[in-house]
Amino acid sequence: MTENKKEILSENEDNKQKISVSIFRKRWRKFRSLKRGYYSFLIMSFLFVISFILPVFVNHTALVVKYNGSYYFPVFKSGIYEAKVFAQVRDGETNYRQLKEQFKGDNSDNWVLMPPYPYGPNENLLDEMAGSPPHPPSIGHIFGTDDRARDVFSRLLYGFNISISFAIVVTFLAYLFGVTIGATLGFFSGKVDILGQRIIEIWATLPFLYVIIIVNSILQPNFFLLVIILTAFTWEGITYYVRGEFYREKARDYVSAAVSLGAKNRTIIFKHILPNSLTPIISFAPFAIVANISSLVALDFLGFGLPPPTPSWGQLISQGMNNIEKWWLVAAPLSAMFLTLIAIVFIGEAIREAFDPKVYSRLR
Amino acid sequence: MTAYFLRRFLLIIPTFIGITLIVFVILQIVPGGPLEQELLKLRMGGQTGSGEVSSSGGNNITGIEIPESALIEMKKFYGFDLPIHLRYVRWMGNLLKLDLGRSYVYAEPVLDVIVERFPVSIYFGLIGFTLTYLICVPLGVAKAVKNGSKFDLASSITVFMGYSTPGWAFGAIMLVLFGGGSFWDVFPLGGFRSEDWDTFTALGKIWDQVQHTILPVAGYMVGSFATLTILTKNSVIENLSQDYIRTAFAKGLSEKRVIFKHALRNSLIPIATGLGHFFSLVLAGSFLIEKVFNINGMGLLGFTSIQSRDYPVTMGILVLSSLLLLIGNIISDILYATIDPRIRFK
Repeated sequence: MTENKKEILSENEDNKQKISVSIFRKRWRKFRSLKRGYYSFLIMSFLFVISFILPVFVNHTALVVKYNGSYYFPVFKSGIYEAKVFAQVRDGETNYRQLKEQFKGDNSDNWVLMPPYPYGPNENLLDEMAGSPPHPPSIGHIFGTDDRARDVFSRLLYGFNISISFAIVVTFLAYLFGVTIGATLGFFSGKVDILGQRIIEIWATLPFLYVIIIVNSILQPNFFLLVIILTAFTWEGITYYVRGEFYREKARDYVSAAVSLGAKNRTIIFKHILPNSLTPIISFAPFAIVANISSLVALDFLGFGLPPPTPSWGQLISQGMNNIEKWWLVAAPLSAMFLTLIAIVFIGEAIREAFDPKVYSRLR
Repeated sequence: MTAYFLRRFLLIIPTFIGITLIVFVILQIVPGGPLEQELLKLRMGGQTGSGEVSSSGGNNITGIEIPESALIEMKKFYGFDLPIHLRYVRWMGNLLKLDLGRSYVYAEPVLDVIVERFPVSIYFGLIGFTLTYLICVPLGVAKAVKNGSKFDLASSITVFMGYSTPGWAFGAIMLVLFGGGSFWDVFPLGGFRSEDWDTFTALGKIWDQVQHTILPVAGYMVGSFATLTILTKNSVIENLSQDYIRTAFAKGLSEKRVIFKHALRNSLIPIATGLGHFFSLVLAGSFLIEKVFNINGMGLLGFTSIQSRDYPVTMGILVLSSLLLLIGNIISDILYATIDPRIRFK
């Protein structure tokens, strides 16, 4: 008898696995068939992963230096090599681009291997460039420099990593809170729900960008503080969907079955209902990321975002708006933002299509 | 249903108290408020700008001593003379008498300062709002009717692009291109109208106003273009697959008649309810667009009031915009129930 029961159970387990895998596969296959979204997904994932090892590609620090028979790897060193290590007449950090030129002239077997784009995001190029900053785009600096003679292209790429990381972390945290709270309200309903709904209404009515500016004008946040502030004022968005899903799912038979088996509330919420209410959560995530990137750029633009000298798109735009003739300071970051956002919107559209297909039959 | 909406209106009260309480407390407890700014300014001999951010507390600043009586006087002026909960009660009491206090910067009643900005915000908001609906709704309907056609796909690209461009960013790039920087000098750099507007001829006045209007309004429209178009499209498509459309076709009506007479009326219901936020959108403006175009409306006022620590104005704008939003929510629901007899609120 017990053996039999076990068998049935394990068979059920297998079935469950099979069904869930096949649903996921089906959606994945559908997602892959939507070329625009799928390729955007591949490209964005690749660029985002690559952007974590950006110092190898875009940096003012050399990858390898061979000097007097020994090898140095400045990029991988946590500190800096002072200029005197390579007998360069200079204070502070070595200027590897100059060192490279110097070694070339020397005719020795000393050499420097620079990253493909040899300018750092926070490096002041004032002594190397003629004229006053911001410099217009040129062959060496494809997007020119900003008002402190820092390379715009380099700042854009580092800004990409920061913007996306920021948006993903905020979205994740806001979902963590939003889903938990929405699930609690939807599952317990009654008084908890009424009270929670009131609090959520307060949050939804707060003009969030306005309030964030108030807070930031006073606190001068760093990356993590800004994440916390933005999370604190955006978590309520997802609660509506999760709450609605929970209201619907709670009435299903499998929930009654779980309740009559004596499952704990927490188990029912997270193990039984949540996996069945993931559709809106997943299909809204890309759009939440888009919104969070826009918020970060807007805050940086207004001067209430990440503290300087963090490479940021919005800060470049605000420089450009103060001096409208320096068009590259506006055009470059806005193009970067536009391309990033549209790629994520494509991904979101494909995910929504794969997870929540709406098929309408129409006459004629 | 009347009882339902009455209850909804009563529920505005706790929500409103919650909102104002949160912002009030944030403004009052954090360091660097107007009182500390003023003290710092006095002690440093008036050298610090009021917009500077200072996180240092009032006690560790050395320099000129300020007499106790003057300090009390100043605390009273900035309203820091009571414990925080009493300060809030006093503020709320004044609000009920429609007294939002006096602006520190403009030295005028806050209500006057805000109301002065209404015409500018209403001007841009109203034009933007109207044009958005005039363009997006027909476009959405056309996309739905020709779903999957070349026109639909081509306009979808515009919609995607619109969704990926915040309105203020679009405004910024337009200013760079057409604002007379390195490219074309077609439009002015911003503002409501030229400074010497009064000296223009009648025709010149209109032309100047139009020139100052086009780019900001385009910015407003880009902001809601994508959402409204897609909302319309989805609503029409959903209705076209309903049974009553099948019936309409079955009884031999022409496609035009079915779409415009039957489907459209029902499809516009969710869009019409959006009109509830008309006042909120029109009055409150967008401070990002007003900042980009340097338009002296309510949005920019809110932004500068934060920068200059003009707390009465900051609170005043919060009061106004949150009330508009809360009432707008209810108006939307009333509209919904009025237009669609299937909807019953309890």
